[in-house]
Amino acid sequence: MSDYSSEDSETEFVLYRNNPEWKDVTPVKQDDGEEPVVAIDYTEAFWQYRREILKGLNKDLNIELDFIHKVILRQSKNYQVWHHRRVLVEWLKDPSKEKYLTELVLAKDAKNYHAWQHRQWVIKTFNLFEGELEYIDSLLLDDVRNNSAWNQRYFVINNTTGFTEEVLNREIDYTLFNTKDVTENESAWNYLRGLLLHDKGGLSKNKKVTEFCENLYKSGNHSPFLLAVLVDMCCEQINEGGGDSVYNLDRARTLCNELITKYDTIRAKYWQYMLDGIEKRPKRARVKRLLRAQIKHMDS
Amino acid sequence: MFTSETMPSLKFVPELHKKYLLFILNGKLPNLESMETNRTVLMYFALAGLDILDEIENIPPERKESIIKWIYSLQVVNEEENISGFLGSTNLITKENRGKNSPYKWAHIANTYSCLLSLLILGDDLSRVNRKAIITSLKTLQLPIGSFKGAKEGVEDDMRFVFCAACICYILDDWSGMDVELMVQFIMKCISYDGGVGQGPELESHSGSTFCAMASLALSDNLHRLTKAQFTGLRRWLLCRFDAGFSGRPNKPIDTCYSFWTGGALKILNAYQFIEDPNNDQFVLMTQDKYGGFSKWVNTVPDPMHTYFGLAGLSLMNISGLNKMFCELNTTRRVHDCLKKIQEKWK
Repeated sequence: MSDYSSEDSETEFVLYRNNPEWKDVTPVKQDDGEEPVVAIDYTEAFWQYRREILKGLNKDLNIELDFIHKVILRQSKNYQVWHHRRVLVEWLKDPSKEKYLTELVLAKDAKNYHAWQHRQWVIKTFNLFEGELEYIDSLLLDDVRNNSAWNQRYFVINNTTGFTEEVLNREIDYTLFNTKDVTENESAWNYLRGLLLHDKGGLSKNKKVTEFCENLYKSGNHSPFLLAVLVDMCCEQINEGGGDSVYNLDRARTLCNELITKYDTIRAKYWQYMLDGIEKRPKRARVKRLLRAQIKHMDS
Repeated sequence: MFTSETMPSLKFVPELHKKYLLFILNGKLPNLESMETNRTVLMYFALAGLDILDEIENIPPERKESIIKWIYSLQVVNEEENISGFLGSTNLITKENRGKNSPYKWAHIANTYSCLLSLLILGDDLSRVNRKAIITSLKTLQLPIGSFKGAKEGVEDDMRFVFCAACICYILDDWSGMDVELMVQFIMKCISYDGGVGQGPELESHSGSTFCAMASLALSDNLHRLTKAQFTGLRRWLLCRFDAGFSGRPNKPIDTCYSFWTGGALKILNAYQFIEDPNNDQFVLMTQDKYGGFSKWVNTVPDPMHTYFGLAGLSLMNISGLNKMFCELNTTRRVHDCLKKIQEKWK
């Protein structure tokens, strides 16, 4: 852990041992043994110790909040600094500056995991969901491939309105609108699948979605994510009893073969494995049906 | 995108990495002050990398012994406060408190994990490890939600530490160190709508946390708890992380360390073989530094972490001369075999 002063980074760093203010402190030597392993020249600073000092000296925690704000902007991928921030917010019970701080960090790196984690924690703990969907909109407008933003969208809806029929409809529209021009965006396809987990009909029976997919396919689009969704739709229908006129064994065969030979060749073995599984399924279902009939017959 | 036509075939040079890792292990490192409290983790990366290179045998016995001694000097046995385990470095050890308990001499779960594996790599039989004290302390780190925090106080909790806890229980062959059922429930809560696993519930799926989750399930013999839909979703999500190299999240750039995090998780779920690319190793080799070590991306500075994971990732690609991995424990099969022999004696 490095040491930071609250001054600007241009200020020359002075070791504690050379700092007159620390003159009255007798240094305690670390005992590294005779043969050090991965020896490192370092400076010490322990956040836990710092927190106990802050409490012990009854320091103004708002000043500390400003200090850690600066540290986070410089060290935004360090676990300890975010944890320190979280403890301070818990102590102060004041989440008012947190969204802004995470927005500053996300403005530089829109996928910073720590910032998103902190943001989710503060939003959920202090019920700050208001305005979050609008913020996500702005991020997706900037980069529709921002997977963190899509994940946040799911988080917000799951914790507020839930996926009611109305919300589901709205979100499907939103996702399809954002997919039509950028069809190789895994994040949006994954979100769409996430939405359909809440559709009573499953993956393959939402008219809006199937129409969108079929039109896209007919237009000559071969995004592997589109083809994969279509394969899974076939799987679902076959599992439910043979498949309808669109999503059936023949269709699955065609799609898998397209993925294997042309559109997702690095995962060819996987699609072959998927296809083998699908081919076996109708047979398995048939055997099960026969067995059931036989048992019924024996019972009567 | 790189294709075999546009990219020259790069060669793996094991000697370079041996030199680099020995330098990390024995030398003085400038510019790594921020890693001070995690020196054991650095040591672990160096030793584990050398182990994959099959170079442990070539470390002189006296040096091995001195490292083992140093590791044991970091063991904290404090059964009163239940903070036993290993420290990250000697920076809390002074002439006055050497061998005694004192404030802030708290073990950290990641350091306990690194130290135990390092001892195994060096051929130690763990006889000086206070297994009972460590297991008892581990229990106090599990939160009601099932997750683990890193240390008694002042540390966050997430899937990384769940994995460390599972490894510690597995190595010490004692699962009374955690509520396994609670851990399984936590992992299930972290499975996202997209099939992958996040560091915590509702967080974005990430290969690192997905690996940690799958390894923890495998080590505790709970992989069968995944539903068919979860199993299929996990494999699919992980397989999609491959594109000329492995990434850690959808729409993020490929990065050397994910050749193991993603690759290892695929191995655990028996799906690595579905990736078919004769140039799979080329991205990792593009991050091979000419003075040794691997870096995160092409033309960046190498570091011990990416060097270890680069080697581990190459081992999954069956590069000759590299020891095979036992992915669940993030170590080689050689070390895992040694562990099993040691555990026999405990029975």
